[in-house]
Amino acid sequence: MWEFLIPLFAATVQSGTPVLYATLGEMMTEKGGVLNLGVEGMMAVSALAAFVVSQATGSPWLGFLAGGAAGMAMGALHGFVCITCLGNQVVSGLALTILGLGLTNFLGVPYVGLRAPGFDPVAVPLLSSVPGLGQVFFDHDVLIYISFVLPVLFWFFFRRTRLGLHVTATGEMPGAAAAAGLRPIALRYFAVIAGGFLIGLGGAYLSLAYTHLWTNGLSGGRGWIAVALVIFAFWRPGRAVAGAYLFGGVMAFQLRLQAMGTNLPSSLLLMLPYALTILVLILSAWRGRRVEGPAALGTNIEPEG
Amino acid sequence: MAEFSFARPSGFRPLPEGAKPVVSLRGVTKRFGKVVANDGIELDIYPGRIKALLGENGAGKSTMMSMLAGRYKPDEGAIEVDGVPVTFGSSKDAIRAGIGMVYQHFMLVESMTVAENVLLGQEGGFFVKPREMERRVGELAGTYGMEIDPAARVCDLSMGEKQVVEILKLLYRESRILIFDEPTAVLTPDETNRLFKALWRMTEQGKAIIFISHKLEEVIALADEIAILRRGRIEGELDPSCIESKADLASRMVGKEVLLEVDREPAEIGDPVLEVRNLTGLGLTDVNFEVRKGEVVAMVGVAGNGQKALVEAVTGLVKPPLDTVFIMGQPWRKFFAESTWNRSMCYIPEDRLGLATLRNLNLVDNLLLTTRKGFTRKGVLLDKKRAERNTRRLVEEYDIRPGRIHALAWQLSGGNLQKAVLARELYRQPRFIVAEQPTQGLDVSATEEVWRRLLAAREMAGVLLVTGDLNEALQLADRIAVIYRGRILGMLPTADDDTPGRIGPLMAGVVE
Repeated sequence: MWEFLIPLFAATVQSGTPVLYATLGEMMTEKGGVLNLGVEGMMAVSALAAFVVSQATGSPWLGFLAGGAAGMAMGALHGFVCITCLGNQVVSGLALTILGLGLTNFLGVPYVGLRAPGFDPVAVPLLSSVPGLGQVFFDHDVLIYISFVLPVLFWFFFRRTRLGLHVTATGEMPGAAAAAGLRPIALRYFAVIAGGFLIGLGGAYLSLAYTHLWTNGLSGGRGWIAVALVIFAFWRPGRAVAGAYLFGGVMAFQLRLQAMGTNLPSSLLLMLPYALTILVLILSAWRGRRVEGPAALGTNIEPEG
Repeated sequence: MAEFSFARPSGFRPLPEGAKPVVSLRGVTKRFGKVVANDGIELDIYPGRIKALLGENGAGKSTMMSMLAGRYKPDEGAIEVDGVPVTFGSSKDAIRAGIGMVYQHFMLVESMTVAENVLLGQEGGFFVKPREMERRVGELAGTYGMEIDPAARVCDLSMGEKQVVEILKLLYRESRILIFDEPTAVLTPDETNRLFKALWRMTEQGKAIIFISHKLEEVIALADEIAILRRGRIEGELDPSCIESKADLASRMVGKEVLLEVDREPAEIGDPVLEVRNLTGLGLTDVNFEVRKGEVVAMVGVAGNGQKALVEAVTGLVKPPLDTVFIMGQPWRKFFAESTWNRSMCYIPEDRLGLATLRNLNLVDNLLLTTRKGFTRKGVLLDKKRAERNTRRLVEEYDIRPGRIHALAWQLSGGNLQKAVLARELYRQPRFIVAEQPTQGLDVSATEEVWRRLLAAREMAGVLLVTGDLNEALQLADRIAVIYRGRILGMLPTADDDTPGRIGPLMAGVVE
């Protein structure tokens, strides 16, 4: 039993991590009041950017940062359309996804099947020898360890720093923020770009750690899962971790099931994580009536007068 | 529930000799199109005193305060702070000058704590220390005797507590002049008492307070000075110590002089179109009256005394208790269950651009909103051509400017929009009309037009007119019902000579 479960849980953590990065990124964006449906496209572009840079420089770290930078650039584009031009957030986000996926498929052609230096598992001394837990949590690549502290930092940022409070206020009630002398426009740009950075890191994880080689369609709907998980998580980082690992668990489970060979068609198994996401959304909408997202989410700040 | 029971802690406070106003309005005038919202306002606000601004809805109170709070610029006249004329470009300028306003709609971040809301933008330091913030806000609240948990989340607070947060925000920014726009509208009597104690405490610390209200007893209980605003003018300033009675104040607020007259020929009285029998509930108590075809029954009273609930029950927006409301002789349930009701009853709501019309639709589509009779082909398709012809005819008949049938609702002025609503509703040949504040905010000619149309409609219908404008009631109605705290205190025939004199006391709840 344990021989099956422990590797499964380890794989859960691994496949949940890119979703966790992206979920936190989308959460950051939405906390500032901007809905970004471009996560899927942003992850694809940053996965490619990370891969290309890592391959060209030989440094996976540079690649990782390049992925974040690509996410920031696309976030800034979304911000420009929605915050400065007052464009519709849903339409801009969808356009960003289509743009990102198309661009990645087009530019990624020469790299298909190539390998790039990526992140390999590094066991944490002592902790990794804890039976069970050690293998599940402490025998991974560095990016996963980063993702352990990220939700805590995220929580700290929004609860204990001035900037975090200001971003929250902007997402809830830009009018109140402006009346308090804050600059809601700048704060929203910050949220979209910082969120884009995290989404970009999630994309980079896909090409540098999850696989070490480039294939098309690497993002595989994870961006959409992230958007859904933000709602499931009620905009709280702790629940984002739970959601991401839940998704990752089902993902890992169905892969294992396929490998073991069952009579179920693989397309049905592949569908499982996404079906679960829908189920989870229904449940959270049901139970979570009281918990609402940032009040001004999806609405643009109209200039006064 | 506790009663409103505030009493001045230290009696009447006369204005000290040589007191200098902290803010003055000097001949301030503000127009919106043809409507003069404020006309040559002269007002002095003194530190350490509460100035009540009394006036009916649409008297211009909010306009005046919005100018003080920097949201509008006066067309004429000046605002002086400490004797120096100032111009406010935005609300930020007003806040900087020490003027803060507590709006009816709170500007609070619901998911954050009280302390975070109060200190928003002034937290000091990159890292925030919740304990420290809560301590500072707690101390501030204590100074003014306000009870609030600084660590509570705003979304968990009652309306009264949210208001305290708004006040704390202003106090923390050291506002010297605090404006309260109908602050008690959302409060329970108990919370009102607490608010008034806090206001009094603030004046003792030298703050100037402007208190906008139309609740007479609150104004009499709290204010150091009372200014009455009517039709955009200061109608007079009173010392609360020399007010004879609430009735006196009420009649000064609604005014006596006749501004506009129309000829009202008696119409033939027919069957009842509305009967309300022993209606108790929805904030109303034992309401009985009827409206018959050919007559206008006016419902007058200070806003917020149950008119809204009555209108909503009669028009089918909320469900009244069983067997209390009968329309065209049918019980409420039966009447609204049948689709025929939308051919026999019409509602002219107070909210013209929202409830009555859709702002982004043109006049043709807005006409089609409430009637499709004669505009359908084969039962499903709309005959737009025909609707356009009819709209064009109505636009000409009612002289709705700018005269284009494809003008969108929001592009019309208030008067023209109201004429369009009236044209639409009367087009349906109703047998029962509910008109709510039909001339509020309209200029004289539009008012006269609306009045003429409503009187002419008696040919086919009975009219229930809900209004805060006494003159309108006296001009149009056959009978006037005065409503106070959900009760009808009197049903007065307009023909009686003593009716105008009796309305004022009844509106204030005084029954001899």
